[in-house]
Amino acid sequence: MELAEVGELLELLLPLFILQFILMIAALIAWVKTDQTKGPKWVWLLIIILANLVGPILFFIIGRRQD
Amino acid sequence: MFHVQNLTKKFDRTAVVKDISFSLEKGNCVALLGANGAGKTTTLRMLSGLLKPNGGSITFEGAEPGADIRSYIGYLPQYPVFHSWMTGKEFLVYVGQLAHLTKQEATERAEYYLERVGIANVGNQKVGKYSGGMKQRLGIAQAMIHKPKMIMLDEPVSSLDPIGRREVLTLMEELKEDTTVLFSTHILTDAEEISDALLVMHHGEILEQGSLASLRDKYQSAKIELAFKTFEEEQLEALKALPGIGEVTANRDGIICLVDDTEQARQAILTKVTQENWALTDFSVSKTTLEDMFMEVVNK
Amino acid sequence: MKQFMTIMRKEFLEYWRNFSWIWVPVVFIFLSIMDPLTTYYMPIILDSVGGLPEGAVFEIPELPAPEVLMMSLSEISMFGVLIIILLTMGTIAGERKSGIAELVLVKPVKYPIYITAKWLAKIKLFLTAFIIGMLVSWYYVNLLFDTIPFTDWLLTVIFYSFWLVFVVSLTIFYSTLLKNPGLVAAVSVGTLIGMSIINSIFSHHLTWFPNSLSSHILELHKSGSIPSELWGTAFVTIVLSIGLLFLSFFTFQKKELA
Repeated sequence: MELAEVGELLELLLPLFILQFILMIAALIAWVKTDQTKGPKWVWLLIIILANLVGPILFFIIGRRQD
Repeated sequence: MFHVQNLTKKFDRTAVVKDISFSLEKGNCVALLGANGAGKTTTLRMLSGLLKPNGGSITFEGAEPGADIRSYIGYLPQYPVFHSWMTGKEFLVYVGQLAHLTKQEATERAEYYLERVGIANVGNQKVGKYSGGMKQRLGIAQAMIHKPKMIMLDEPVSSLDPIGRREVLTLMEELKEDTTVLFSTHILTDAEEISDALLVMHHGEILEQGSLASLRDKYQSAKIELAFKTFEEEQLEALKALPGIGEVTANRDGIICLVDDTEQARQAILTKVTQENWALTDFSVSKTTLEDMFMEVVNK
Repeated sequence: MKQFMTIMRKEFLEYWRNFSWIWVPVVFIFLSIMDPLTTYYMPIILDSVGGLPEGAVFEIPELPAPEVLMMSLSEISMFGVLIIILLTMGTIAGERKSGIAELVLVKPVKYPIYITAKWLAKIKLFLTAFIIGMLVSWYYVNLLFDTIPFTDWLLTVIFYSFWLVFVVSLTIFYSTLLKNPGLVAAVSVGTLIGMSIINSIFSHHLTWFPNSLSSHILELHKSGSIPSELWGTAFVTIVLSIGLLFLSFFTFQKKELA
């Protein structure tokens, strides 16, 4: 692979990384603010940080107890 | 001003509320008294429009025909649940607007009632952080927000600790000034303390109703309680033979005589005691309580 | 009308407070651009992994741009729809189950208003996310593959929106019928799977079936004009959605809020 191609690839993928970052930050803020999670709260922290993309989404969908 | 006629509710063919009828006077505070499972909650939920009765009618004097009865009613369920992500004030404004207040009116009233029920200091905090007592107060505020003609409270104090209970009872006492209050309870003393009238419910039926005073009149008889240093069986027999005395029973604390004529019985007992030289340690004249009435009605 | 706005504003406030306005669009962007990007970079990635022996020519056919855009739709029709269902299942059922509905419905709230306001709020959230996702996808497709005319893109988005509206309506309908949100999701997914099976078996007879929206949309890109089947399918999808909404009013009114 040419170096130029790698550069181009990174440039195009940069927005993805930014989005992923936004998602994780939002999930972390939500995690801090949530009093009640389904299951232990610290486990959700690991999921959010370790499972890229899927972790934050899972947390948003099923992690929080809300009413 | 509020009439309920032949109200009936069945769940799976089992009648939970059986053909009850009653009326409420404007400005009254009425307790719906009954043991758990008597049908109190079901009754209140029908009156608030959450359940559809299988029969009977609910009418409001002065209500426009065809009007939504819910406009005239405020309701507090036994376990009120709020959106935990909202603040107390936001919630009040929200339900106020749902009850056709403008945003400004709703905001003003939310502030007023937060103050009134004593949680103004936490009005801007998330409801998720509220204690049970605060939620109950917020619940009362949301029931009052649209100035209903009547509010119905389902077991408003039964889940509270003694202090919270006292505070909420005092609050309800104050609410009587503004509106008609109907609340359910299984605790007679709560009912006696703040209500003007009682509806006694048992197994889905209203067995007895009336003002507190009239029920006292109807069911109360005088009693004289005695205690002696030493207790002997013959004392019981002797007391029973005295004029003006009905039933005589003994318990751990002493002897209880139900009396027909207090004055006559008092003299007779005291004379007897002096004659026999019994060592009297306690003598009191009192009346049977509503508790006794409640037990009597329920066990009929 | 005021009640309607009150409920909708409350829903939007909730979407802010629980970050839905942030994460749902972000996820839709991901779903929309995943396939265009991976398709374009697959040769490069394979190359860099060095999986191909020297001299072997690995031909990946150049995909036409519309087909790449349709890949975005197919991701959304899977994961996007799943997210929509999971976020919509509790709309009515959850409020009833938790007991919040008690406090709301003792106020003089008209049931159709209550349901429609929530329905529209959900639709606004998901369509916003969908449109943003498709915009980003369009940008990447134009950059990496071929230009897709704006009108074609716009029509794609508009017509596919009807399918998402249908999914929301279906889920809300089940949400008024059943009290358990999990069950609502299961039944909604089941219904959609059933519909797609029916569609694949009888597709020749059921040209106006909602599930065939995307294949008609592809036709649109090929021919450059709106095929009549697309109009028909869109019409059927809208009618079904509105029908489900009215059915929701009906079931909700009949249901006791116990």
